[in-house]
Amino acid sequence: MSTVQNSPHATGNSFVHRLSPLTKLTFAVTVTVCAFAVVDYRWPLLLFCALLLPAAIGAKVVRRFLLMLATFWVPVAAILFVIQGFFFPEAHDVIARFGPLELKSEGVAYALLTALHILVLMGGFFLLLLTTHAATLMSALSERNVSPSLIYIVSAALQIVPTLSRRATRILHAQQARGQVIHGLRGRARALVPLVGPLILGAFTDVGERAAAMETRGFGATRRPTSLITVPDSAVQRSARVAMMLCAVAAVTVNVWGVMR
Amino acid sequence: MIEVKGFSFTYPTGSRPALHDIGFEVGPHELCAVVGGSGAGKSTLAGVVSGTIPHLTGGSAEGLVRVNGRDLADIALSGLVGEVGLVMQNPFNQISGARFSVREEIAFGLENMGVPRDEMAARVDTVLHDLGLTKVRDRSPYELSGGQQQLLAIGSVLVMRPTVMVLDEPTSQLDAAGSALVFEALGTLREQGVTTLLIEHRMERLARAADHVLVLDGGMIVAQGSPGEVLADERLEEWGVAPLRYTVAARRAAARGLWPDARPLPVTLDAAAEGFGATVAHLARGDRR
Repeated sequence: MSTVQNSPHATGNSFVHRLSPLTKLTFAVTVTVCAFAVVDYRWPLLLFCALLLPAAIGAKVVRRFLLMLATFWVPVAAILFVIQGFFFPEAHDVIARFGPLELKSEGVAYALLTALHILVLMGGFFLLLLTTHAATLMSALSERNVSPSLIYIVSAALQIVPTLSRRATRILHAQQARGQVIHGLRGRARALVPLVGPLILGAFTDVGERAAAMETRGFGATRRPTSLITVPDSAVQRSARVAMMLCAVAAVTVNVWGVMR
Repeated sequence: MIEVKGFSFTYPTGSRPALHDIGFEVGPHELCAVVGGSGAGKSTLAGVVSGTIPHLTGGSAEGLVRVNGRDLADIALSGLVGEVGLVMQNPFNQISGARFSVREEIAFGLENMGVPRDEMAARVDTVLHDLGLTKVRDRSPYELSGGQQQLLAIGSVLVMRPTVMVLDEPTSQLDAAGSALVFEALGTLREQGVTTLLIEHRMERLARAADHVLVLDGGMIVAQGSPGEVLADERLEEWGVAPLRYTVAARRAAARGLWPDARPLPVTLDAAAEGFGATVAHLARGDRR
């Protein structure tokens, strides 16, 4: 299956690529839940370094994996450090001053822990997205009797960006053909206002026609749907999923009872 | 088979009927073409025969619409899936938006119908081949050109093997080669016994492909009959339909006594060539005399 433009999936045939999407989904959920089990910043860091990073290296997607984290995680972490570091409630231990602002150690520690939790969460799901074609994931969910409507919503959401982008391009071209000048930052900002109306209203207008087309193609039929895509799976993977789920339950238990606080 | 008797329909927001006292029949294996100007009610008629109107739109309907002997008023839209296929004017809106490749998009309807994977794969690959889409099978539907998207929309309906097909200007975004592929596919459908209602502007192809032609104007059928009768009617322009240029040329020639009396006005290029050829031969013989 070739890569499609609107999917982050990186083509490959590694061990991780060949795993069932459900196994990778279960792994992403489990590792995220486990990250919260112990209130120590070294624990999520260990999970990331011992599990997620080697998995990304093994799947030969480490460059894109790190690039995605740099794009999405780094800004989130930076904001966390600023907000928690300077404005953490009831913090007293000042480690640095920037004019009227005081950086406090309790806030930095909290931000570090939260940022690493988010690192594990993003890492798990980015690994899933990078090594799984969205269609295979949707087929796997369909085979597990997940509601077709829910699968449709997720699939459509994954493609909404290219859809809206194409529509926006058409509208902009039509407006430029009628003399609108889109040049420079100010021009682009001015063009945004007349673009939004037709973009949103047009999308709503199309909904009716698309709904009719979907109905005539059996969407919402009462029969159990089948899937064109073959989803790889095995008894070993099913057992691994059960084991991972037990780990997740154990992690929740540890966290709730505060065993390792 | 399609039967429509005394059918009228008004949209919920409409002040006058979009269709008024419509009546016609299309038998098995037959292809009925519908022509008319903008706002004549063609797309509404397509919606009515495919069951989406008034099921999805609401509005008031009177009269009878039967498909394969079943009254559409008594059937839910889901009951027509696989029996009636609808290809819309805008292919962009016919794409589900939930499938990531052309191949998966074509399979969407079959998946909903619960068709087994092996059978589904075979049917999808046949349609891809028939419509010349095999090369783009793994591309995203959104990466296709307008023409390819139109072929994809047709393929996604063809794969469900309906017994009745309704096509609302399926070639509006296609080039000559793409249109030829569509009409070729329509020919194959007829051989398979599919009843077809086709709304189309390409008169030349329509004249050769259709068994019957209906002309809609202001929501009413103003003419119906064989392509030769209807498309040569001199009132065609009054009804908002552009006549074929060679039909107009033959009519003007006939007005000057330059078209063979016994020969009907042509609605295909071949008939026009034969008619004008006969006139030229006749004139040449007269000159020699």
